[in-house]
Amino acid sequence: MSMYFYSGSGKSQQVVKAVDDVTFHIYQGETFGLVGESGCGKTTTGRSIIRLYTPTSGEMFLDGEDISGPMNSRLRRYITDKVAMIFQDPVDSLNPRMTVREIIGEGLEVRGIKDKAVVDEKVYSILNKVGLTREHATRYPHEFSGGQRQRIGIARAIVVEPAMVIADEPVSALDVSIQAQVINLLGSLKEDLGLTILFIAHDLSVVKHFSDRIGVMYYGKLVEVAEADELYDNPIHPYTRALLSAIPHPNPLSEKRRRRITYDGLETHDYSVEQPSMVEILPEHFVYCSPSEAESYRREFKRK
Amino acid sequence: MNKKLNSRLAPEDFVLVQLDEDLFDDSFVGQPVSYFGDALIRLSRNKSAIIAFGIIVFIIIMALFGPAMNQFGYNQQMVDRVNLPPRIPIFAKFGVFDGTRILYNRQVANLTDPSRYPEGSILETVRTFTSRDIAMADIKADMYKMHDVPDDINFWFGTDYLGRDLWTRTWRGARVSLMIAVIAVFVNIVIGTIYGAIAGYYGGKADMVMMRFTEIVGAFPQSILATMLILVLGTGIRAIIIALVVRGWIGTARLIRAQFLRFKGREYVLAARTLGVDDRKLIFRHILPNSIGPIITRAMIAVPGAIFSEAFLAFIGLGIQAPEPSMGVLLSDAQKVLTSYPYQTLFPAILISILMISFNLFGNGLRDAFDPTMRGVD
Amino acid sequence: MLKYVLKRLLAAAVTLFIILALAFAVVRLMPGSVYDDPNLDQAIIDMLIERAHLDKPIHIQFYYFLKGVVMDKDWGTSVKVEPGVPAFQVLANRIPVSLQINLISLLISVPIGIVAGIVAALQKNRGADTLISVGVIIFISVPSFVFASLMQYFLAYKLKLFPILYQPSAVGALRLKSMVLPIAALSLSPIATITRYLRGELIEVLGSEYMLLAKTKGLGRFKATVKHAFRNASLPMMNVIVPMFANIVGGSMVIERLFSIPGVGGTMIKSINANDHSLTVATLMFYAMISIGTALLVDLSYGLVDPRVRVGGKKDE
Repeated sequence: MSMYFYSGSGKSQQVVKAVDDVTFHIYQGETFGLVGESGCGKTTTGRSIIRLYTPTSGEMFLDGEDISGPMNSRLRRYITDKVAMIFQDPVDSLNPRMTVREIIGEGLEVRGIKDKAVVDEKVYSILNKVGLTREHATRYPHEFSGGQRQRIGIARAIVVEPAMVIADEPVSALDVSIQAQVINLLGSLKEDLGLTILFIAHDLSVVKHFSDRIGVMYYGKLVEVAEADELYDNPIHPYTRALLSAIPHPNPLSEKRRRRITYDGLETHDYSVEQPSMVEILPEHFVYCSPSEAESYRREFKRK
Repeated sequence: MNKKLNSRLAPEDFVLVQLDEDLFDDSFVGQPVSYFGDALIRLSRNKSAIIAFGIIVFIIIMALFGPAMNQFGYNQQMVDRVNLPPRIPIFAKFGVFDGTRILYNRQVANLTDPSRYPEGSILETVRTFTSRDIAMADIKADMYKMHDVPDDINFWFGTDYLGRDLWTRTWRGARVSLMIAVIAVFVNIVIGTIYGAIAGYYGGKADMVMMRFTEIVGAFPQSILATMLILVLGTGIRAIIIALVVRGWIGTARLIRAQFLRFKGREYVLAARTLGVDDRKLIFRHILPNSIGPIITRAMIAVPGAIFSEAFLAFIGLGIQAPEPSMGVLLSDAQKVLTSYPYQTLFPAILISILMISFNLFGNGLRDAFDPTMRGVD
Repeated sequence: MLKYVLKRLLAAAVTLFIILALAFAVVRLMPGSVYDDPNLDQAIIDMLIERAHLDKPIHIQFYYFLKGVVMDKDWGTSVKVEPGVPAFQVLANRIPVSLQINLISLLISVPIGIVAGIVAALQKNRGADTLISVGVIIFISVPSFVFASLMQYFLAYKLKLFPILYQPSAVGALRLKSMVLPIAALSLSPIATITRYLRGELIEVLGSEYMLLAKTKGLGRFKATVKHAFRNASLPMMNVIVPMFANIVGGSMVIERLFSIPGVGGTMIKSINANDHSLTVATLMFYAMISIGTALLVDLSYGLVDPRVRVGGKKDE
């Protein structure tokens, strides 16, 4: 799947390849983490899946149904019924003019539930699930703390009973002490409701804790996909290694020994001769590399 | 410093918080406050805005009922009661608005002629002098007595050069001016909002074409455009309103477009879209409400502008048709006799000034109430 | 950059042309004509009609008119206001009078407004600021012609400090004195506008963090304001002042009438009321040119200062 943004016209046209030739799949019931530095295209990927953006090329399938085609009301309905999204900014993602009840209930009303009592009941029960009370329903967003707002955002997403939730950096704007709270809540909701989650973050430690499999993105490309533990134990792509090396260790002794690895895509790789592609280096462990690089990665792991 | 202390901490010393407990928040105390409720509270704390609002309401009430408060019609000409100064019984005791006027250069010989100066009409002689051997005097005269007006008839604001009651005409003029301004501003806001919303929401090519069009219309100077239009349409209330609308909506359209561009990418709008909310609801429920504050503020500030434009047109001879009065027509007529009958200018001038100050103050108050960050930036 | 300037110039020229065409059409379509005057000799009327090609369809008339304008600056001839004098000549005599008053008004307004704005910002929410703010709201709200009437009555008529009307034939001090009131009436609103704008900008800048930094470095309040805040506020202020000139010129139409100033404004009013078509078109074009010229100036300066405008980005309100 690719997503290009065009700007300018004629000679001065510039193409920003925000997401370029990214391929991955998410299994039902799993949590797929998508990590990368800011501006690498993870958010664009997430928003393209839910069709806030129309991908420039490529295909997307949801439950076997193509969701990358031209937009029509049926497709819109299909996507919005199956996929919901949790946003990054707890301040920006809630309409300041609407009460919590209206915010959470809107998704239900769109789905044709007009009976006020039914909507109320659903809103109250979902509020309970995210640790808020029914009294909160009449309140406006500005009265809540960041963590509470994010939980309202979660409630809004799951009240429509989606099969999949795209969580776009749901905790990165929160205080560290609140992050765990929201992550744990997401985890328990996932188990209760059997959700599939696409978890987008720039913080590898959060992703590791939460995800079954992880994809690493760099400059619009997916460079490595593997199971969470596998990725942490055997990072292959130099960028992944650089990312992992940037995580501070809680243990001060090992933190002292921690070495940061720096990564510069243009310096490390020479793709002028060979075209890179996704290669399975270890079982279920894919890396974006050229054939010769793949060879050297494989050799490295045979030795171990 | 505390190295020793820290190193003694064993893993057992730590307890995991929140490990298994369920999240549960307390409910809030106090009442929920909506965005508009909040704005209203802020507005009610702004004393000058509240006073201004009161004055506007008062003037509107007077504009509606003032003309009916005495027996004279706005176009009732009384040839024997021309240019009478104002007489207001309560004030008369203090020597103002008592229906008197200083008459200059009168021949003393004529002063005793009852056909010219009826009994009791001359209150005092201010100055006597001779000019070309004729005894002359400046006298203070009761103009009502001179014109044989009964004591129980008072022209509170005086009469004009056709003997029309200025109280009636002033309030009727205020009504006409306000009506023109309010209708023009309302039409401007409606057109501008729809236009700007479409351009801002859909963006892209449509936006480009639509904005180019506003640029072209906007390049015409307002006063020139209004003048030309009225030359074609003739002078009437409708013509003036059209002249004020033709270019007036552009400002609103630009404002609304900018608002839409700003808000349509906000996460909560995207969130609503991911829930499947349709365009109509997105516009009216999620994006437009953000613009209501600026729209109302803009309308309030635009009203005095429209009143000014109407008066401006009246002054260059393109006001509404006689005998209908308006603030501009009244002022423009009164200006011609400013030095002899200043009261004719006084009342409309005070009224238009107070009206415009009030609208501006109230508009400022509204802006502060809707957008507290702008407070103090006058 | 050159492309941007040319584009703007072309756009302005096109707008002017459209206004000219519209003005021409509008004035011809106006009800009433000087030739309705029963006192005029039929032969003279025929001659006049012949000369202005009034017997031909309107687009042909416009062609002749345009040809006259371009070839010999011939904007037609005044028939009523100054019978027999070419419209161009009538205006040429009056433009200096109008411009004189308007330019002086602008030159007075800018420094007074700037000083008042700085004082108000420095004294924010204190006595001087309150006083200035009250003045600002009054001067912005109350129409210039109301002030003109007030000053005429009290300062000129009652106190006899100034002549009531403008004295075109007087020389020296008396003439200057007769210009004081109209200029004052024209300047009040611009002064208030500049004051309000500058006060707002300065207060915003004064509250910013780099002003805090300037203060921690030991810069005095006044110096910090002038050096940092004022410099930042002055550039956008040009975009308030330049279009204001068009407003002053427009507003002076009424002021000229009130003070009997023989300027363009009075001429326009007279020509409209007298159905003196050629003169009306010419005066309309004068105001259009001032208006479009100042707008062009603002556009070009924006383009110079802000490269985003140049490459086709949109500037929003």
